Amino acid sequence: MSMTKKLGAGFGLALSVTMMSGAAYAQDCTTKIGAVLPTSVDWGRPIAETAQFAVDQVNAAGGAAGCQIEMVLRDTQVDPKVGVDAAKALVDLEGVNVLLGAVSSGVSMPILTSVTVPGGVMQMSCCSSSTAFTTLAEEGKTNGLWFRTFATTGVQSAVGAKVAQDKGYKTIAVLYKNDDWGQDMARQIAADFAAVGVEVTTSVAINDGQPSYRAEVTEALSTQPEALYLALYPAEGTAAVREWISLGGTQNMIMANALKSDEFRDNVGLQYLGNALGTDTASPRADSADAFRAAYVERFESEPNGPGLANSYDATMIALLAMEAAGKDASGAEIAAAVARVTDPDGTAVSADTAGFTSAKEILAGGGTVMFQGATGNVRFDGNGDVSAPAVVWSFSESGIEEVEFLSLDDVDAFIASLQ
Amino acid sequence: MIQNLIDGVLTGSYISLGAIGLTLVMHILRFANFSHAELLSLGAYAALVCDALVSALVPVFAVKLAPLSLTGALIVAIFVSMVFTGLSALVIDRLVFKRVREKGQELSMVFASFGMALIIRNVIGLVFGLSPELYSKDIAFAMILSRDPLILVKPDQIFVLVAALVLMFLLHLILSRTTFGYSLRAVAENPSLAQVNGVNLQRTIMAVWLIGGGLAAVAGIFYGLSHQLIPVMGRDLVLPIFAATIVGGIGSVYGAVLGGFIVGIAGNLALVVLPSGYTPSVPFLLIIVVLILRPHGLFGEARA
Amino acid sequence: MIGVISYLVFFATTASILAIAVLGLNLQWGNTGLFNGGVVAFFGAGAYGTLILGGTPQAGHLGGYGLFYPLALLGGMAIAGLVAWIVGLLTLRLRHDYLAIATFGVAVAFENLMRNAEWLAGGAKGVRGFERPLRDALGDGFTYNIFFFLVVLVILIATYLFLERLVASPFGRLLRAIREDEEAAQSLGKNPARVRLMAFITGSVILGLAGGLYGTFYAFVSPQDVLPTLTFQIWAMLIVGGAGNNRGAIFGAFLIWGAWTASGWALSRFAPIEAQLYTGSVQFILIGSVIVGMLMWRPHGLLPERLVVSQRGKTPSA
Repeated sequence: MSMTKKLGAGFGLALSVTMMSGAAYAQDCTTKIGAVLPTSVDWGRPIAETAQFAVDQVNAAGGAAGCQIEMVLRDTQVDPKVGVDAAKALVDLEGVNVLLGAVSSGVSMPILTSVTVPGGVMQMSCCSSSTAFTTLAEEGKTNGLWFRTFATTGVQSAVGAKVAQDKGYKTIAVLYKNDDWGQDMARQIAADFAAVGVEVTTSVAINDGQPSYRAEVTEALSTQPEALYLALYPAEGTAAVREWISLGGTQNMIMANALKSDEFRDNVGLQYLGNALGTDTASPRADSADAFRAAYVERFESEPNGPGLANSYDATMIALLAMEAAGKDASGAEIAAAVARVTDPDGTAVSADTAGFTSAKEILAGGGTVMFQGATGNVRFDGNGDVSAPAVVWSFSESGIEEVEFLSLDDVDAFIASLQ
Repeated sequence: MIQNLIDGVLTGSYISLGAIGLTLVMHILRFANFSHAELLSLGAYAALVCDALVSALVPVFAVKLAPLSLTGALIVAIFVSMVFTGLSALVIDRLVFKRVREKGQELSMVFASFGMALIIRNVIGLVFGLSPELYSKDIAFAMILSRDPLILVKPDQIFVLVAALVLMFLLHLILSRTTFGYSLRAVAENPSLAQVNGVNLQRTIMAVWLIGGGLAAVAGIFYGLSHQLIPVMGRDLVLPIFAATIVGGIGSVYGAVLGGFIVGIAGNLALVVLPSGYTPSVPFLLIIVVLILRPHGLFGEARA
Repeated sequence: MIGVISYLVFFATTASILAIAVLGLNLQWGNTGLFNGGVVAFFGAGAYGTLILGGTPQAGHLGGYGLFYPLALLGGMAIAGLVAWIVGLLTLRLRHDYLAIATFGVAVAFENLMRNAEWLAGGAKGVRGFERPLRDALGDGFTYNIFFFLVVLVILIATYLFLERLVASPFGRLLRAIREDEEAAQSLGKNPARVRLMAFITGSVILGLAGGLYGTFYAFVSPQDVLPTLTFQIWAMLIVGGAGNNRGAIFGAFLIWGAWTASGWALSRFAPIEAQLYTGSVQFILIGSVIVGMLMWRPHGLLPERLVVSQRGKTPSA
């Protein structure tokens, strides 16, 4: 192994090299995977750190498919052409067969249509939520190479409606982020609230980067709703909710998972979030479910609470498990096909940490299948690369996030069916 | 409706402060300074650092001045940051704009300011991280001025408005009562003639940067106090501030003040007629309307 | 090796598309002195126009006219020209820094409209469902990329030749005359306002052409493609290459886009992992410094405008 490679792989590799020197087996190969993530925006950076964290765990377990993994990270700057170019460079120059990313649908989509699908590379996004991907997959244009660990907005909004129903709210105002995810959420949640008989008093778009959200908040406040539904990210969520509370708005809030963030809790203040309930896809009820959280806290000294962190971890882990399952020198299509073997509902459960990866290796080597119990739950992809998962209702607490209610996959499906 | 008007006036107070500096620079140095809004960020973050320092060194100052969320430390920080930001503006001019000015033409300056904006914004992002920061995490509750119609105002906002008005009044005194104010107007009218008459052009330019930077710092801090600090706040404020400058007429300090309030009120009233997604377009619409009706702004004068 | 070639073709395609856009801006700024701060609105109008006119039907918004590709591309250019005509009528009589700000606002409003008007162009999720021309015949692998690159290259050369002719023509002389001294031009009986509007529209149509090719290349466009960053990038290319010089414009496009991508690559390759998370900010600082540095030390760009002698008596060589 050359010096430059060691340097390039940096911390993760250095850690595993130390481990390897003590281990019985020696590896002298490195497989590269690509990551195109918006590291230059506030919530993008932790997503990239979490992906690298998963790679480090896998390397500590001896790597995947017989080699150490090196994640080559490129910044998208949330600029589609920069992201597409970076993806193309990773595929053509670094020879990656697996690409993680991007975050924004507007970047993931052109990468998918002009780089990964033509190049036969598997693309696994943590966070792109647009329904356009499902349509594209239904048209048969993703060649089975596309996956995302971000549960479609359907689950989120259905559980949000259930919370409103259980709480007995009659009227609710919606504040949503004015991007593809937020517009989608606003549309879905309006339909779901209507289905359970909750009146949406107003639905207000919150644009990125506005000097003030005072007018938007006043608009929502003037309709005097019993509760507030928030499909926002922490940056504008903090600003809007602080404004909302300071103006005496109700503290009955329902939040989508993007606000599951320590930063949001700390900046708004726990004392105002007592009646705030969040929704999210959930970890399964297994002993190993805390593995991700525990390891994360040890590494970053904070809880894995932030938009896309758990999804980014799962995306990376599933990609690497699939690489392991597909074996050495597998093509992107082979790796994509192997995703089913590592997210098999009938497979052996493996936890989301180094130990889980090690045991998955043994099972896969023996020809078995595994069910990855990820940070976002028992991740299971449908034919379009969309994920469905159990759901959880959560609230903020002193120590971070507390679970209020758990809904199994069957509960979620049944509730969604009841809304139709 | 009344609430929107009041909110607009309060928002307008920091937009006005930002616009005053910009209108002076655009008038005297004759270029659209796209990096002016970054001075607001610079000032806001400088105050954040200074606030933390003073609070740590002199714990007495860390106590809140109820009912405001403001502390004594932050008030100290405002003055320090004004000086710091004014000097920074001066240094940036010396290092960059002055040289570009000597080499090229006005529009090179516009583009150089684009570049400077990018540099300042990203350096702040590197140093402070990309997440939002707050001067105080406590939420200051609004006071109810009237129940029907419901009118709410936060104590901090009243402080911001009053402080902004005081600053504007002081500036008015300087401009109308001192020789400096006179020479400023002279340079703006005709730089070479002013020089012939003994006005020191260099010194006037320096003063413009100091005043512009200082007021920008206050605007940035007031913005941070009302909302939050993020490294890209300059990017978000650049269009409203330009709009205020143009609406008021380039070169007119009073125009900038009025323009700031108009932009603030328009932004808050827009939601009454437009869907909320369209708010970012409001400053642009104002610019277009004013330029069509009064190409030189409300208080501006035609100039070759 | 094939990987390197494949990447270079891809890179050159993007760079050529951007070069076409820079040529369009050069006509406006370099030759006519119009500060267009809203480049991205015209680029975007071309991209959206082409995809909406040439795409397959999509639920919920305009589009799906499935026009023959060249017609769709021309349609995109026409839409860009139409936007430019309206914007030009409203703003061109302004002093240039007013013009810069007003057009900057146009671009913000354009992005804002695309983001919100779901009935028009799909809102934030953008326009998709576009079939790249001749994809059935050529697949969508390396062969297609080579083919598409050649098409873009031919269009780039054609645009260059067209502009060189235009600039050398009496109309081109008129543009420079107005840029240098409007009143003198007016006193010779010319109508500067009309001429400037013509130049503004022509430049914007070329920007729309670049946008149409860009949309075709990715078979997708969304509001994220029309953020102010693109305006900045295209301006940087022109300033560095040399305003007023068409070759400089093309050179600047390749150079800046090369530097932009190469710096991202170099940072990911050589910077330590921890530092990689900051590459975006570092990159923007570098690009900002290059621009400011150029303006300080080489304000006329790497390939400065050549002074044209109007009455040479022969066809100018360039």
